[in-house]
Amino acid sequence: MEIEKGVMKRQLSLADNKKNALTKKFKTTGLINGVISGLTYGIYSTLVMVASGYDPLVSAAGFLAAPFVCSGLNDFIAGIWLLFYNAKKGRLKELGRTLKTKPGQMLVIGFLLGGPIANGAYLVGLAMAGAYAIPISATCSLFGALFAWMFLKQKPTKRVVLGMVLCVMGAIIINFVKPEGAPNFTLGIICALIAAICWGLEGVFSSFGGAMIDTDVAVNLRELISGLVVLILLVPAVGALKLLGGTIVAGTPLLWLAIAGLSAAISFVTWYKANATVGCAIGMSLNVTYAFWGVLFCVLFLGQTLTPTIVIGSVVIVLGAIIVTMNPLDLFRKGEVE
Amino acid sequence: MSLPSRMAVLNYMNEHDSVNVKSVMEALKPFYGNEKQFNENLYLEHFMALEANGLVELASYNLDDKENLIMNYRINDDGREAVEKYVDKKYRN
Repeated sequence: MEIEKGVMKRQLSLADNKKNALTKKFKTTGLINGVISGLTYGIYSTLVMVASGYDPLVSAAGFLAAPFVCSGLNDFIAGIWLLFYNAKKGRLKELGRTLKTKPGQMLVIGFLLGGPIANGAYLVGLAMAGAYAIPISATCSLFGALFAWMFLKQKPTKRVVLGMVLCVMGAIIINFVKPEGAPNFTLGIICALIAAICWGLEGVFSSFGGAMIDTDVAVNLRELISGLVVLILLVPAVGALKLLGGTIVAGTPLLWLAIAGLSAAISFVTWYKANATVGCAIGMSLNVTYAFWGVLFCVLFLGQTLTPTIVIGSVVIVLGAIIVTMNPLDLFRKGEVE
Repeated sequence: MSLPSRMAVLNYMNEHDSVNVKSVMEALKPFYGNEKQFNENLYLEHFMALEANGLVELASYNLDDKENLIMNYRINDDGREAVEKYVDKKYRN
Protein backbone atom coordinates (compact mmCIF):
# COMPACT_ATOMS: atom_id res chain seq x y z
CA MET A 1 0.00 0.00 0.00
CA GLU A 2 2.71 2.45 1.06
CA ILE A 3 4.75 1.57 -2.00
CA GLU A 4 1.71 2.12 -4.23
CA LYS A 5 1.14 5.52 -2.63
CA GLY A 6 4.77 6.39 -3.18
CA VAL A 7 4.58 5.47 -6.85
CA MET A 8 1.39 7.49 -7.25
CA LYS A 9 2.99 10.48 -5.57
CA ARG A 10 6.06 10.25 -7.82
CA GLN A 11 3.83 10.00 -10.88
CA LEU A 12 1.87 13.07 -9.79
CA SER A 13 4.92 15.20 -9.15
CA LEU A 14 6.45 14.06 -12.45
CA ALA A 15 3.23 15.08 -14.22
CA ASP A 16 3.35 18.43 -12.38
CA ASN A 17 6.95 18.98 -13.39
CA LYS A 18 6.31 18.12 -17.02
CA LYS A 19 3.23 20.32 -17.14
CA ASN A 20 5.05 23.25 -15.52
CA ALA A 21 8.00 22.82 -17.90
CA LEU A 22 5.62 22.86 -20.87
CA THR A 23 3.77 25.93 -19.58
CA LYS A 24 7.07 27.69 -18.98
CA LYS A 25 8.29 26.78 -22.44
CA PHE A 26 5.11 28.16 -24.01
CA LYS A 27 5.35 31.33 -21.94
CA THR A 28 8.98 31.95 -22.89
CA THR A 29 8.28 31.24 -26.57
CA GLY A 30 5.27 33.56 -26.36
CA LEU A 31 7.29 36.40 -24.86
CA ILE A 32 10.11 35.96 -27.40
CA ASN A 33 7.53 35.92 -30.22
CA GLY A 34 6.02 39.15 -28.86
CA VAL A 35 9.40 40.89 -28.78
CA ILE A 36 10.24 39.68 -32.31
CA SER A 37 6.87 40.91 -33.60
CA GLY A 38 7.56 44.42 -32.32
CA LEU A 39 11.11 44.45 -33.64
CA THR A 40 10.18 43.16 -37.12
CA TYR A 41 7.29 45.62 -37.44
CA GLY A 42 9.76 48.40 -36.69
CA ILE A 43 12.09 46.98 -39.35
CA TYR A 44 9.20 46.74 -41.82
CA SER A 45 8.20 50.38 -41.19
CA THR A 46 11.77 51.54 -41.76
CA LEU A 47 12.40 49.40 -44.86
CA VAL A 48 9.26 50.66 -46.58
CA MET A 49 10.64 54.17 -46.12
CA VAL A 50 13.99 53.00 -47.55
CA ALA A 51 12.23 51.56 -50.61
CA SER A 52 10.28 54.79 -51.08
CA GLY A 53 13.60 56.65 -51.28
CA TYR A 54 14.44 55.07 -54.66
CA ASP A 55 13.29 56.07 -58.10
CA PRO A 56 10.62 55.89 -59.43
CA LEU A 57 8.87 55.92 -56.03
CA VAL A 58 10.68 58.96 -54.66
CA SER A 59 9.69 61.19 -57.57
CA ALA A 60 6.14 59.88 -57.98
CA ALA A 61 3.44 62.49 -58.52
CA GLY A 62 0.47 62.69 -56.12
CA PHE A 63 0.54 61.67 -52.49
CA LEU A 64 -1.36 58.38 -52.85
CA ALA A 65 0.48 56.71 -55.74
CA ALA A 66 3.77 55.72 -54.09
CA PRO A 67 2.26 54.58 -50.74
CA PHE A 68 -0.32 52.39 -52.49
CA VAL A 69 2.27 50.84 -54.81
CA CYS A 70 4.44 50.17 -51.74
CA SER A 71 1.66 48.74 -49.60
CA GLY A 72 0.26 46.61 -52.44
CA LEU A 73 3.64 45.10 -53.32
CA ASN A 74 4.62 44.73 -49.67
CA ASP A 75 1.42 42.94 -48.62
CA PHE A 76 1.33 40.75 -51.73
CA ILE A 77 4.97 39.70 -51.23
CA ALA A 78 4.30 39.09 -47.52
CA GLY A 79 1.36 36.90 -48.60
CA ILE A 80 3.67 34.91 -50.91
CA TRP A 81 6.23 34.43 -48.09
CA LEU A 82 3.40 33.18 -45.87
CA LEU A 83 2.17 30.81 -48.60
CA PHE A 84 5.62 29.20 -48.53
CA TYR A 85 5.50 29.01 -44.74
CA ASN A 86 2.03 27.44 -44.66
CA ALA A 87 2.90 25.07 -47.51
CA LYS A 88 5.85 23.87 -45.45
CA LYS A 89 3.52 23.24 -42.51
CA GLY A 90 1.05 21.45 -44.82
CA ARG A 91 -1.74 23.93 -44.22
CA LEU A 92 -2.54 25.30 -47.69
CA LYS A 93 -5.98 23.61 -47.79
CA GLU A 94 -6.91 25.52 -44.65
CA LEU A 95 -6.99 28.80 -46.61
CA GLY A 96 -9.98 27.74 -48.73
CA ARG A 97 -11.67 26.05 -45.78
CA THR A 98 -11.40 29.20 -43.70
CA LEU A 99 -12.90 31.42 -46.41
CA LYS A 100 -16.00 29.20 -46.46
CA THR A 101 -16.80 29.78 -42.77
CA LYS A 102 -18.69 32.70 -41.23
CA PRO A 103 -15.82 33.71 -38.91
CA GLY A 104 -13.47 33.55 -41.91
CA GLN A 105 -15.72 35.87 -43.91
CA MET A 106 -16.00 38.34 -41.01
CA LEU A 107 -12.21 38.31 -40.79
CA VAL A 108 -12.00 39.18 -44.49
CA ILE A 109 -14.13 42.32 -43.93
CA GLY A 110 -11.70 43.24 -41.16
CA PHE A 111 -8.73 42.52 -43.46
CA LEU A 112 -10.10 44.98 -46.03
CA LEU A 113 -10.17 47.68 -43.36
CA GLY A 114 -6.85 46.73 -41.80
CA GLY A 115 -5.06 45.93 -45.06
CA PRO A 116 -5.73 48.25 -48.00
CA ILE A 117 -7.24 51.11 -45.98
CA ALA A 118 -5.19 51.12 -42.76
CA ASN A 119 -1.91 50.01 -44.27
CA GLY A 120 -2.32 52.45 -47.16
CA ALA A 121 -3.07 55.29 -44.75
CA TYR A 122 -0.12 54.27 -42.56
CA LEU A 123 2.27 54.45 -45.49
CA VAL A 124 0.84 57.80 -46.66
CA GLY A 125 1.38 58.95 -43.06
CA LEU A 126 4.98 57.69 -43.07
CA ALA A 127 5.62 59.44 -46.38
CA MET A 128 4.28 62.75 -45.09
CA ALA A 129 5.23 62.84 -41.44
CA GLY A 130 8.18 60.43 -41.35
CA ALA A 131 8.88 58.57 -38.12
CA TYR A 132 6.31 60.75 -36.32
CA ALA A 133 3.54 58.68 -37.88
CA ILE A 134 4.77 55.45 -36.25
CA PRO A 135 3.87 56.13 -32.59
CA ILE A 136 0.61 57.81 -33.68
CA SER A 137 -0.47 54.59 -35.39
CA ALA A 138 0.21 52.75 -32.13
CA THR A 139 -2.94 54.36 -30.72
CA CYS A 140 -4.84 51.55 -32.46
CA SER A 141 -5.23 49.77 -29.12
CA LEU A 142 -7.08 52.85 -27.86
CA PHE A 143 -9.49 52.59 -30.79
CA GLY A 144 -9.75 48.83 -30.34
CA ALA A 145 -10.89 49.33 -26.74
CA LEU A 146 -13.19 52.20 -27.78
CA PHE A 147 -14.92 50.16 -30.50
CA ALA A 148 -15.23 47.14 -28.24
CA TRP A 149 -17.05 49.48 -25.85
CA MET A 150 -19.33 50.90 -28.57
CA PHE A 151 -20.13 47.78 -30.58
CA LEU A 152 -19.46 44.84 -28.31
CA LYS A 153 -20.62 46.48 -25.06
CA GLN A 154 -17.31 45.71 -23.37
CA LYS A 155 -17.15 48.53 -20.83
CA PRO A 156 -13.57 49.77 -20.30
CA THR A 157 -12.18 49.79 -16.78
CA LYS A 158 -10.62 52.86 -15.16
CA ARG A 159 -7.19 51.47 -16.09
CA VAL A 160 -8.17 51.22 -19.78
CA VAL A 161 -9.51 54.78 -19.74
CA LEU A 162 -6.24 55.99 -18.17
CA GLY A 163 -4.30 54.23 -20.94
CA MET A 164 -6.55 55.84 -23.56
CA VAL A 165 -5.96 59.31 -22.10
CA LEU A 166 -2.19 58.67 -22.14
CA CYS A 167 -2.36 57.64 -25.83
CA VAL A 168 -4.17 60.83 -26.74
CA MET A 169 -1.73 62.93 -24.69
CA GLY A 170 1.25 61.26 -26.40
CA ALA A 171 -0.25 61.96 -29.82
CA ILE A 172 -0.77 65.62 -28.88
CA ILE A 173 2.83 65.89 -27.61
CA ILE A 174 4.22 64.43 -30.87
CA ASN A 175 2.16 66.87 -32.89
CA PHE A 176 3.17 69.84 -30.71
CA VAL A 177 6.30 70.87 -32.59
CA LYS A 178 6.21 70.28 -36.32
CA PRO A 179 9.52 69.22 -37.84
CA GLU A 180 11.00 71.52 -40.44
CA GLY A 181 10.68 70.63 -44.10
CA ALA A 182 7.52 68.53 -43.78
CA PRO A 183 4.79 70.64 -45.39
CA ASN A 184 2.08 67.98 -45.05
CA PHE A 185 2.99 66.99 -41.50
CA THR A 186 -0.48 67.36 -39.95
CA LEU A 187 -2.11 65.53 -42.88
CA GLY A 188 0.42 62.72 -42.35
CA ILE A 189 -0.50 62.50 -38.68
CA ILE A 190 -4.21 62.40 -39.63
CA CYS A 191 -3.46 59.52 -42.04
CA ALA A 192 -1.68 57.63 -39.26
CA LEU A 193 -4.77 58.19 -37.10
CA ILE A 194 -7.02 56.81 -39.87
CA ALA A 195 -4.76 53.75 -39.91
CA ALA A 196 -5.10 53.36 -36.14
CA ILE A 197 -8.91 53.67 -36.34
CA CYS A 198 -9.16 51.03 -39.08
CA TRP A 199 -6.83 48.65 -37.21
CA GLY A 200 -9.05 49.11 -34.16
CA LEU A 201 -12.10 48.23 -36.28
CA GLU A 202 -10.30 45.22 -37.73
CA GLY A 203 -10.07 43.88 -34.19
CA VAL A 204 -13.85 44.17 -33.82
CA PHE A 205 -14.43 42.00 -36.89
CA SER A 206 -12.10 39.33 -35.54
CA SER A 207 -14.37 38.97 -32.52
CA PHE A 208 -17.04 37.16 -34.54
CA GLY A 209 -15.64 33.70 -34.05
CA GLY A 210 -12.14 34.66 -35.23
CA ALA A 211 -10.73 32.88 -32.19
CA MET A 212 -11.60 29.56 -33.85
CA ILE A 213 -9.41 30.28 -36.87
CA ASP A 214 -5.75 29.32 -37.04
CA THR A 215 -3.94 32.66 -36.96
CA ASP A 216 -1.14 31.57 -39.33
CA VAL A 217 -3.84 30.92 -41.92
CA ALA A 218 -5.71 34.14 -41.13
CA VAL A 219 -2.55 36.24 -41.50
CA ASN A 220 -1.78 34.60 -44.83
CA LEU A 221 -5.27 35.43 -46.13
CA ARG A 222 -4.96 38.98 -44.79
CA GLU A 223 -1.74 39.74 -46.61
CA LEU A 224 -2.80 38.10 -49.89
CA ILE A 225 -6.25 39.72 -49.96
CA SER A 226 -4.88 43.11 -48.97
CA GLY A 227 -2.07 42.95 -51.53
CA LEU A 228 -4.35 41.84 -54.37
CA VAL A 229 -7.07 44.41 -53.61
CA VAL A 230 -4.52 47.22 -53.52
CA LEU A 231 -2.71 46.10 -56.69
CA ILE A 232 -5.80 45.25 -58.74
CA LEU A 233 -8.27 47.92 -57.58
CA LEU A 234 -6.56 50.81 -55.79
CA VAL A 235 -3.34 51.20 -57.79
CA PRO A 236 -5.23 51.63 -61.11
CA ALA A 237 -7.81 53.84 -59.35
CA VAL A 238 -5.14 56.35 -58.29
CA GLY A 239 -3.50 56.18 -61.72
CA ALA A 240 -0.36 54.47 -60.47
CA LEU A 241 -0.12 51.50 -62.86
CA LYS A 242 2.87 53.02 -64.62
CA LEU A 243 4.57 53.63 -61.30
CA LEU A 244 3.90 50.01 -60.31
CA GLY A 245 5.51 48.77 -63.53
CA GLY A 246 8.43 51.15 -63.09
CA THR A 247 9.03 50.01 -59.50
CA ILE A 248 9.05 46.35 -60.49
CA VAL A 249 11.43 46.99 -63.39
CA ALA A 250 13.73 49.20 -61.27
CA GLY A 251 14.58 46.19 -59.10
CA THR A 252 16.21 47.81 -56.07
CA PRO A 253 13.02 49.21 -54.49
CA LEU A 254 11.30 45.87 -55.16
CA LEU A 255 14.12 44.08 -53.36
CA TRP A 256 13.70 46.33 -50.31
CA LEU A 257 9.94 45.76 -50.43
CA ALA A 258 10.53 42.00 -50.56
CA ILE A 259 12.58 42.20 -47.34
CA ALA A 260 9.99 44.58 -45.84
CA GLY A 261 7.30 42.04 -46.77
CA LEU A 262 9.24 39.28 -45.07
CA SER A 263 9.55 41.43 -41.92
CA ALA A 264 5.82 42.16 -41.96
CA ALA A 265 5.04 38.45 -42.43
CA ILE A 266 7.27 37.46 -39.50
CA SER A 267 5.81 40.25 -37.39
CA PHE A 268 2.20 39.13 -37.90
CA VAL A 269 2.89 35.43 -37.39
CA THR A 270 4.89 36.02 -34.20
CA TRP A 271 2.39 38.58 -32.91
CA TYR A 272 -0.55 36.20 -33.18
CA LYS A 273 1.55 33.39 -31.76
CA ALA A 274 2.37 35.59 -28.77
CA ASN A 275 -1.31 36.46 -28.35
CA ALA A 276 -2.21 32.78 -28.36
CA THR A 277 0.44 31.72 -25.85
CA VAL A 278 0.79 34.58 -23.35
CA GLY A 279 -2.58 36.25 -23.99
CA CYS A 280 -3.64 39.19 -26.09
CA ALA A 281 -2.79 41.79 -23.45
CA ILE A 282 0.90 40.95 -23.18
CA GLY A 283 1.09 40.09 -26.89
CA MET A 284 -0.25 43.47 -27.94
CA SER A 285 1.91 45.32 -25.42
CA LEU A 286 5.07 43.69 -26.74
CA ASN A 287 3.99 44.23 -30.33
CA VAL A 288 3.39 47.94 -29.76
CA THR A 289 7.08 48.41 -28.93
CA TYR A 290 7.43 48.66 -32.72
CA ALA A 291 6.89 52.37 -32.17
CA PHE A 292 10.20 52.49 -30.26
CA TRP A 293 12.07 50.36 -32.77
CA GLY A 294 10.64 52.19 -35.78
CA VAL A 295 11.63 55.60 -34.43
CA LEU A 296 15.06 54.29 -33.35
CA PHE A 297 15.84 52.76 -36.77
CA CYS A 298 14.67 55.91 -38.56
CA VAL A 299 17.01 57.99 -36.40
CA LEU A 300 19.91 55.55 -36.85
CA PHE A 301 19.61 54.74 -40.54
CA LEU A 302 17.46 57.37 -42.20
CA GLY A 303 18.84 60.50 -40.56
CA GLN A 304 15.52 61.35 -38.89
CA THR A 305 16.15 64.11 -36.34
CA LEU A 306 15.43 63.19 -32.77
CA THR A 307 13.42 65.88 -31.00
CA PRO A 308 12.32 65.91 -27.35
CA THR A 309 8.66 65.86 -28.43
CA ILE A 310 8.95 62.65 -30.46
CA VAL A 311 10.88 60.91 -27.66
CA ILE A 312 8.47 61.92 -24.88
CA GLY A 313 5.43 61.44 -27.12
CA SER A 314 6.45 57.89 -28.19
CA VAL A 315 7.19 56.85 -24.61
CA VAL A 316 3.80 58.17 -23.43
CA ILE A 317 1.92 56.45 -26.29
CA VAL A 318 3.65 53.10 -25.81
CA LEU A 319 3.00 53.33 -22.07
CA GLY A 320 -0.63 54.25 -22.72
CA ALA A 321 -1.05 51.40 -25.22
CA ILE A 322 0.40 48.94 -22.71
CA ILE A 323 -1.92 50.18 -19.95
CA VAL A 324 -4.94 49.85 -22.28
CA THR A 325 -4.12 46.22 -22.96
CA MET A 326 -2.85 44.99 -19.60
CA ASN A 327 -2.23 45.83 -15.97
CA PRO A 328 1.55 46.45 -15.86
CA LEU A 329 1.57 45.27 -12.25
CA ASP A 330 0.69 41.75 -13.48
CA LEU A 331 4.21 41.51 -14.87
CA PHE A 332 5.58 41.60 -11.33
CA ARG A 333 2.97 39.21 -9.94
CA LYS A 334 4.09 36.33 -12.11
CA GLY A 335 4.77 33.88 -9.31
CA GLU A 336 1.38 34.18 -7.60
CA VAL A 337 -0.68 33.20 -10.61
CA GLU A 338 0.92 29.83 -11.13
CA MET B 1 -15.43 20.43 -47.60
CA SER B 2 -14.07 19.97 -44.10
CA LEU B 3 -14.02 22.67 -41.45
CA PRO B 4 -10.74 24.49 -40.80
CA SER B 5 -8.96 22.19 -38.35
CA ARG B 6 -8.94 24.48 -35.29
CA MET B 7 -12.68 24.93 -35.69
CA ALA B 8 -13.08 21.18 -36.09
CA VAL B 9 -11.25 20.66 -32.78
CA LEU B 10 -13.61 23.03 -30.96
CA ASN B 11 -16.63 21.50 -32.70
CA TYR B 12 -15.51 18.04 -31.53
CA MET B 13 -15.05 19.32 -27.98
CA ASN B 14 -18.63 20.59 -27.99
CA GLU B 15 -19.79 16.98 -28.06
CA HIS B 16 -17.13 15.34 -25.90
CA ASP B 17 -16.41 16.02 -22.26
CA SER B 18 -12.69 15.76 -21.80
CA VAL B 19 -10.45 15.77 -24.84
CA ASN B 20 -6.70 15.48 -25.34
CA VAL B 21 -4.43 15.72 -28.38
CA LYS B 22 -4.48 11.94 -28.96
CA SER B 23 -8.25 11.48 -28.65
CA VAL B 24 -9.12 14.41 -30.89
CA MET B 25 -6.58 13.32 -33.51
CA GLU B 26 -7.99 9.82 -33.44
CA ALA B 27 -11.49 11.19 -34.08
CA LEU B 28 -10.46 13.62 -36.81
CA LYS B 29 -8.10 11.23 -38.57
CA PRO B 30 -10.59 10.24 -41.30
CA PHE B 31 -10.92 13.90 -42.37
CA TYR B 32 -7.44 15.32 -41.93
CA GLY B 33 -5.20 12.29 -41.43
CA ASN B 34 -3.45 12.47 -44.79
CA GLU B 35 -2.40 16.12 -44.38
CA LYS B 36 1.05 17.24 -43.28
CA GLN B 37 -0.49 19.58 -40.70
CA PHE B 38 -1.97 16.57 -38.91
CA ASN B 39 0.65 16.28 -36.16
CA GLU B 40 0.72 16.47 -32.38
CA ASN B 41 2.60 19.77 -32.19
CA LEU B 42 0.06 21.66 -34.26
CA TYR B 43 -2.86 20.06 -32.42
CA LEU B 44 -1.39 21.03 -29.05
CA GLU B 45 -1.09 24.53 -30.48
CA HIS B 46 -4.81 24.45 -31.36
CA PHE B 47 -5.65 23.65 -27.72
CA MET B 48 -3.32 26.30 -26.31
CA ALA B 49 -4.67 28.95 -28.70
CA LEU B 50 -8.30 28.04 -27.97
CA GLU B 51 -7.45 28.21 -24.26
CA ALA B 52 -5.76 31.62 -24.63
CA ASN B 53 -8.88 32.85 -26.44
CA GLY B 54 -11.05 31.72 -23.55
CA LEU B 55 -13.03 29.05 -25.43
CA VAL B 56 -11.67 25.95 -23.67
CA GLU B 57 -9.93 25.23 -20.37
CA LEU B 58 -7.47 22.71 -19.05
CA ALA B 59 -9.51 20.10 -17.15
CA SER B 60 -6.77 17.77 -15.86
CA TYR B 61 -3.36 16.36 -16.70
CA ASN B 62 -1.64 13.06 -16.06
CA LEU B 63 1.03 10.73 -17.43
CA ASP B 64 0.43 7.83 -19.78
CA ASP B 65 2.18 4.42 -19.53
CA LYS B 66 5.29 5.82 -21.19
CA GLU B 67 5.36 8.80 -18.81
CA ASN B 68 4.28 11.23 -21.55
CA LEU B 69 2.28 14.21 -20.37
CA ILE B 70 -1.40 14.06 -21.34
CA MET B 71 -3.35 17.31 -21.05
CA ASN B 72 -7.14 17.05 -21.05
CA TYR B 73 -9.15 20.06 -22.13
CA ARG B 74 -12.87 20.81 -21.98
CA ILE B 75 -14.99 23.41 -23.73
CA ASN B 76 -16.53 26.20 -21.63
CA ASP B 77 -19.71 28.28 -22.05
CA ASP B 78 -18.05 30.82 -24.36
CA GLY B 79 -16.73 27.99 -26.51
CA ARG B 80 -20.18 26.40 -26.74
CA GLU B 81 -21.70 29.73 -27.67
CA ALA B 82 -19.09 30.19 -30.40
CA VAL B 83 -19.87 26.75 -31.85
CA GLU B 84 -23.64 27.38 -31.73
CA LYS B 85 -23.24 30.75 -33.41
CA TYR B 86 -20.58 30.12 -36.01
CA VAL B 87 -20.26 26.43 -36.88
CA ASP B 88 -22.61 25.41 -39.67
CA LYS B 89 -25.28 22.97 -38.42
CA LYS B 90 -24.33 20.30 -40.96
CA TYR B 91 -21.02 19.78 -39.14
CA ARG B 92 -22.68 19.29 -35.77
CA ASN B 93 -24.02 15.92 -34.68
